[in-house]
Amino acid sequence: MKSNNNSNNTTDISNAEKATQVLVKLHDIKKIFYTDDVETHALNNINLTINKGEYLSITGPSGCGKSTLLSLLGLLDTSSSGSYTLAGHNVSDLNRDERAAIRNKEIGFIFQAFNLISDLTVAENVELPLTYRSDINTKQRAAMVNTALAKVDMLHRAHHFPSQLSGGQQQRVAVARAISAKPSIILADEPTGNLDSKNAQIVMALLDQLHQEGATICMVTHDPRSAARAERMIEVFDGKIVADQLTETPTAIAV
Amino acid sequence: MSITLDIKYAARLLYKKPIFTALTVFIVAIGLGLTLYTYSLLSNLVFKPLLLNKDTPIISIEAEFNHSHLSRRSVDAFDFLTIRNEMDSIDEFGVYEEGIALVGKSQQNSGTRKYNSVRVEWNVFDFSGVKPIMGRALKAEDHFDGAEPVVVLGYDIWQHYFLAQDDIVDSIILVNAIATRVVGIMPAGFSFPTVAQLWKPIEQNMLTPTERSRSWLFAYARLKKDQSFNIFKQELSALNKRIANNIPDNMRWRINEKGGYLRAVPYKIANITHYYSLFITMAVVVVLILLLACINVGNLLLARVNERFKEVAIRVALGVPRKRLILQMLLESIFICTVGGFLAVLFAGWGLELSNTVFEQMYRVTENKPFWWQVSLDTDAIILLILSVIAMIAITGFIPAWRALSGDFNAVLRDGTRGSQGKKFARASQLLVISEILLSCVVLVIATILLSSSYFAGQADYGVETNNRITATIELPEGSYPIRQEEEFELADTLKRTAFYYDLKDTLEQMPNIEGVAFMSHFPGTGAGASFFEIEGRVAAVYNENPYSNNEVVSRDAWSAIGMRVIQGRDFNQSDISAEIDTIIINESIANDFFPDGDAVGQRVRRAFRNGDREGGWQTIVGVVSDTYHGSAMRTSSEQYSSYFMLDNIGYSWIDIAIHYNGSQALAEKSLQQAINQVNSNATAYHMQSYDELISQPMILVSAISKVFLLCGVIAIFLAASGIYAVAANSISQRTQEIGVRRALGASDSIIMQLFMRKAVWQLLIGLSIGITLSLWVVNRMTDTMVINQGSYMVGLIVIPLLIIIMVLVATYVPTRKIVLMEPSDALHHD
Ligand SMILES: Nc1ncnc2c1ncn2[C@@H]1O[C@H](COP(=O)(O)OP(=O)(O)O)[C@@H](O)[C@H]1O
Ligand SMILES: [Mg+2]
Repeated sequence: MKSNNNSNNTTDISNAEKATQVLVKLHDIKKIFYTDDVETHALNNINLTINKGEYLSITGPSGCGKSTLLSLLGLLDTSSSGSYTLAGHNVSDLNRDERAAIRNKEIGFIFQAFNLISDLTVAENVELPLTYRSDINTKQRAAMVNTALAKVDMLHRAHHFPSQLSGGQQQRVAVARAISAKPSIILADEPTGNLDSKNAQIVMALLDQLHQEGATICMVTHDPRSAARAERMIEVFDGKIVADQLTETPTAIAV
Repeated sequence: MSITLDIKYAARLLYKKPIFTALTVFIVAIGLGLTLYTYSLLSNLVFKPLLLNKDTPIISIEAEFNHSHLSRRSVDAFDFLTIRNEMDSIDEFGVYEEGIALVGKSQQNSGTRKYNSVRVEWNVFDFSGVKPIMGRALKAEDHFDGAEPVVVLGYDIWQHYFLAQDDIVDSIILVNAIATRVVGIMPAGFSFPTVAQLWKPIEQNMLTPTERSRSWLFAYARLKKDQSFNIFKQELSALNKRIANNIPDNMRWRINEKGGYLRAVPYKIANITHYYSLFITMAVVVVLILLLACINVGNLLLARVNERFKEVAIRVALGVPRKRLILQMLLESIFICTVGGFLAVLFAGWGLELSNTVFEQMYRVTENKPFWWQVSLDTDAIILLILSVIAMIAITGFIPAWRALSGDFNAVLRDGTRGSQGKKFARASQLLVISEILLSCVVLVIATILLSSSYFAGQADYGVETNNRITATIELPEGSYPIRQEEEFELADTLKRTAFYYDLKDTLEQMPNIEGVAFMSHFPGTGAGASFFEIEGRVAAVYNENPYSNNEVVSRDAWSAIGMRVIQGRDFNQSDISAEIDTIIINESIANDFFPDGDAVGQRVRRAFRNGDREGGWQTIVGVVSDTYHGSAMRTSSEQYSSYFMLDNIGYSWIDIAIHYNGSQALAEKSLQQAINQVNSNATAYHMQSYDELISQPMILVSAISKVFLLCGVIAIFLAASGIYAVAANSISQRTQEIGVRRALGASDSIIMQLFMRKAVWQLLIGLSIGITLSLWVVNRMTDTMVINQGSYMVGLIVIPLLIIIMVLVATYVPTRKIVLMEPSDALHHD
């Protein structure tokens, strides 16, 4: 089960260098949902700092607020109170389009349900976030799409539609989409939740690889084995961070 | 057992969403109601053959329809004799001539009343399978020269004019001042051929003429049992060719430019030829509306299935058999369509009742309502309704059932989202939006063009003053004013007739409330006929290359009474009566177009085919009068040219009168009656109405139908607006998650709005271009009934597409905006 071979030591130095650079800083974040007179305090006084290059996992029981936290991190939702600094910029008070621009440039998402757009081909899906930018031309886009697809080993399926792929393949495409624009942070919400264990392993290995190449990753999971692969583990309970610890020896299962 | 559970469940769902339920039932009721109404109207008025107590349909044989005056054209008795003798496929056949008769009691000065009369062949009663309730029918001997004049009276005359007098049969009454024996009374409601109130035998020489004449006959016929109507029509057209090749030149006017003359038509259609395309258009529009309603209901149900997708997925997971699931989906549409069907019967019944009122009003003055113009819901209509309800259940139930069965249930159950939506479904909802655009475009463009055309026609300027004018027809009893054919008497007899008219004019004009009186065969705004005329020195080689004008007969000193003016030359005067030359007055358009140098007065023209007349038929132009439009408003611009002949030389036994009055209309009508009594109480004035009413009469049906179109238009706007919105909103909300994904990936609001708006524009382009082409095609079919003016095209082709563009853009903008405004995290988890 848990194997103890340390595959992380090769990147120790670079991680240590980056550790000084703070990427995300959440201060006193609260999130309250109002539905039919019911107030749900989904998040309470969250304080969290994420450094560049960190590989972070968020765990906790169902309904504790993991996804909500990730949505806030990804600027998919706004907090009820508190402040959020991303790469030195206060992003709590941005308008809708500014938030969209940040999502586009700085954040890559991987969803449990893949969320590929069914009417677009694999390549077009990966290209999609790049098309929302004006500073990349068609040629560059094609190159970036190719690089991303090659990284997840899906180049041979570039012109297929999502419905023609297995779940694992779809999620690999989703990973390619998340990294195609070289974001500062990758946010993944139970990325293996819809996958069988074999495909789950492939995706997890991909994330490991990305991390080794320097990516900052924040992943929600309720699978302790997956969580253990990250270098830092955050546990949420009832809307609060109840534990924040480094995994002594981040584990990886040999591929 | 389990079915009852499903029914209960469906009922609960409908009950829980009362607005949805009411809206869909209402849409179904309107769609079906309109269909039912139109079907009943068209089958009663147009399509269901007239059978009259027998099982072979009655047909009419007449001359080609004359579109320029919207009137049926008659046939020479001589040609009917040929048909009678040569066409073997005819089983029963008879000729008739409709007109008006002044009926009086035998004691003089008892006051006459005008009734619709028909001079007819004796077999008319056998032909229609109806026997007199008293006395006898006509017989062959009644036609013979020298036979005693006889008449068969309708029930109505007997009841109301003769006060149900029980010794009426065999008594002598006056018909057009001729002592005539009543031989029979027909049952109530019988008025074949169309509007007859009394039947007189036609002269024998109309049945067995020996030469061509200017006779004016129509014919009814039934074919032998096994004869096909199409083959009969072919035979008739062969005969037609033969006649056209052999007809003498002075009768060539019977044949139209395209060589058309004899035609056979189903009897009902013969009477509405000028409205035929209007009725057809109405049918097309209604079918389109029904389709629109189907799509709307289908879409509403589809949206419901989408809402219930998870529930359906769970049912599938629990192993519901396909059949059960489809049935479940169908249950709702069964309920909605059935209730809608019941309401439709109420709608249609109400509409038909209203139509009957319109028909009454239309023919109130002329009493010319064909006897079958009484519409009601019959068994055919109810069968059609049941079939439509079944079809509608199939269409509206099928779409959601298909959707329910083609979804990715696994995905739904696995992660609670709908999974990928599928190209098929996305395409289907695009198709829905495009068909909504297309259908509503066609319906609205047609309705608008028709509406605005009939509005403009009502506003048309006829070149006359109609305010403070009443019109009527004055009829002289022919018996009291005979015109003997012998040459030495003819002029004197004619002048005796016209003297009556001028006496009447003088008497009226001496009254303080009368400003002026005019007599004309048909006043502008109405019209009888047009024909070719030749200009001296410029006669065309072929008669029909000559210009074409209306011909009206007019009294002296008539123009000012109806607001017309003499522009050049002079009015007719007494010296024209016995002058060596025949005189004529033309209108300004003829003068401008053919005598541009202003030298019309003094030139000579003649009617085509009149070169055998005195002076070779040439008539000298003595005056030019201001332009007016003859013919009905539906084709105001058809004849710009008018020629006027002097009444004094023609001596009709009837003529139209227009009276310019001051004070009240009722007083003016009373004055006319008074003046007639003073001059000769045996004359009758009928069709008394204001000049405005006279002009609007041919428009009543058109404006009634355009009101139906208006209703269709309003319904179509409602259906289109709600439908386009619902379809667009539904297909956009299907893409909520996709929008969430795009926003998560950093798409700005405007990128997403553009994405959807661009798609809407595409759908608009496709829908509108097909829609406009289609509606233009339909509208062009109607141009033989109505003049469609530029303005109407503008309204139809600019305003309506604009309206639809706005509707579609709003219908896209609002729901897209709503989703864009959602937090992306909500959009992502939306289902
Ligand atoms: N859009 C929402 N509206 C109302 N309540 C919500 C919404 N999203 C999440 N919640 C509530 O917030 C709490 C945290 O949810 P979530 O972050 O999805 O939990 P999880 O840890 O399982 O991902 C739950 O109680 C959930 O019901
Ligand atoms: Mg979650």
